[in-house]
Amino acid sequence: MKPSLVRTGIAAGLVVLAGVPWIASPSIVQFGINMLLLAALAQGWNIIGGYTGYASFGNSVFYGLGSYGTAIAMLRWHLPFGIGLVLGTVIAVVFAALFGRAILRLRGHYFAICTLGLAEVMTAIVSNLEITGRNTGLVLPLLRGDVLFYELSLSLVVVATLIVAWIAHSRFGYGLIAIRENEEAAAAMGVDTTRYKVLAFSLSAAISALAGGIHAYWITFIDPVSAFDIGLNVKMIIVTVFGGPGSILGPVLGSFVLSGISEILSTNVSTVAGLFFGAVIVVAVVFMPRGVADLIRRFDKYRWRYFAENVRANRL
Amino acid sequence: MEPILSVRRLTKRFAGLVALSDVSFDLGRGEILGLIGPNGAGKTTLVNLISGAFRASEGELDFEGAPIGALPPHRRAKLGIGRTFQIMRPFPGLTVLDNVAVGALFGTGGGHRKLAIARELAQQKLDFVGLAHRADRPAEALGGPDRKRLELAKALAMNPRLLLLDEVMAGLNLAELEEVIAIIRKVRDEGVSVLVIEHVMKAIRSLSDRLLVLHHGEKIAEGEPQQVLADPTVVEAYLGRRREAHQSGGT
Repeated sequence: MKPSLVRTGIAAGLVVLAGVPWIASPSIVQFGINMLLLAALAQGWNIIGGYTGYASFGNSVFYGLGSYGTAIAMLRWHLPFGIGLVLGTVIAVVFAALFGRAILRLRGHYFAICTLGLAEVMTAIVSNLEITGRNTGLVLPLLRGDVLFYELSLSLVVVATLIVAWIAHSRFGYGLIAIRENEEAAAAMGVDTTRYKVLAFSLSAAISALAGGIHAYWITFIDPVSAFDIGLNVKMIIVTVFGGPGSILGPVLGSFVLSGISEILSTNVSTVAGLFFGAVIVVAVVFMPRGVADLIRRFDKYRWRYFAENVRANRL
Repeated sequence: MEPILSVRRLTKRFAGLVALSDVSFDLGRGEILGLIGPNGAGKTTLVNLISGAFRASEGELDFEGAPIGALPPHRRAKLGIGRTFQIMRPFPGLTVLDNVAVGALFGTGGGHRKLAIARELAQQKLDFVGLAHRADRPAEALGGPDRKRLELAKALAMNPRLLLLDEVMAGLNLAELEEVIAIIRKVRDEGVSVLVIEHVMKAIRSLSDRLLVLHHGEKIAEGEPQQVLADPTVVEAYLGRRREAHQSGGT
């Protein structure tokens, strides 16, 4: 597809998306908020996982820190939501920068396992602190305004996607991709690998924390188990990989398509929805391992052969 | 004139194994220094120590008069040390052009900030090494000789002052060999100093201003190519002793 056509399509899509909550039913708006927040989270994961090649399970920690930071600021210190959101984000970024310096020395599975541990540790810590309400959690003031939360979530997706678009065409992004493709060669060519990785991790953390803060105020209730849920991190990864890791629009498309499929399945075949959902993922990984973004990019040229080529290339 | 690289009593140990022992030499500005020696002599270890992939156990490294022994690899790259890898390390997911663009975006002095300029420069380097027709292919699609060219183009795009070439000629046919030799000469004529590891004797002899020979991690000879290659110690390191060779040949 032509770039100008893509741009027009995206702009039109954005207008439609922004208009949805003004006409759609409340349940659709709620579905939309969840879908958009997942898209933003996936886009955040895309920076560290997709571009830098570090499979992080720590993004749910940043999400949780964003939730708690926002909630604590609003409840304990009676600060407005906006300031709470900034505070939660700052906490998550500081956390990512400090821990990133240490754990980004690990590669591959070791990094993944270490970040997995972080989430467990955070759940335990937050469950035992007075300020976080221990394991009963916190209840935030109620604000009836799904439209506002929807538009806020949409803005976050747009900002996150713009950041990723900048990364994809910048010196910084090339440094990250070089790290993903071969870290030793990247360093030998002059990429300050430690600094770049920590920056990517922190940027990823900021987006996750913002999503966490918005979600906390929308849902009005957080507790340690749901705020630091590893399952959410797994969702970010599935959505990103389905959409196309290391691409600009892949994570957003992935979130839209998978959220849609998941919603349709759970309303129609509620009891076995999980099974069908799993099947969709498996089929996707086999036939389009580079994700939706790659499929769209190359379907024009290859047509239906695209799927056969993928199966052959992966020797399945 | 002050050498661009000065190596003093460099030693590298891996646990019990001494990979490089007490090696000292200077590399002059605009010089091509050939580094030879049998397999396992410590040639690649030496390149890894200079580029910063490894830290030396002992000894000193001065680049343009300043110590670099404690600097991480990216800082040395920024100072102007570029290298190729013997086991080629392209960025497989990127196009050939973008592989080279990474070198131009980083490299000496921190490289160029703008992607468009870096790509233009990368295109020039691809022209230079004869890989321009492959610019848009993914790097993983390249065959052996083209990968060697890509490694070279990536290092050149860094605009290095010192170029470390680790077996960029292995596996090339005669015509390709001539091309690469011409490229390295041209690079040197632009003022770049070159340290080149090579097994292809014919190539290294005609290319190098001087030769340095390593054997079991130690420097056993250094000097003019003709003279070094005639040195009995060097011949022995490569071929074994004459008498033994004669005996085994006779039975």
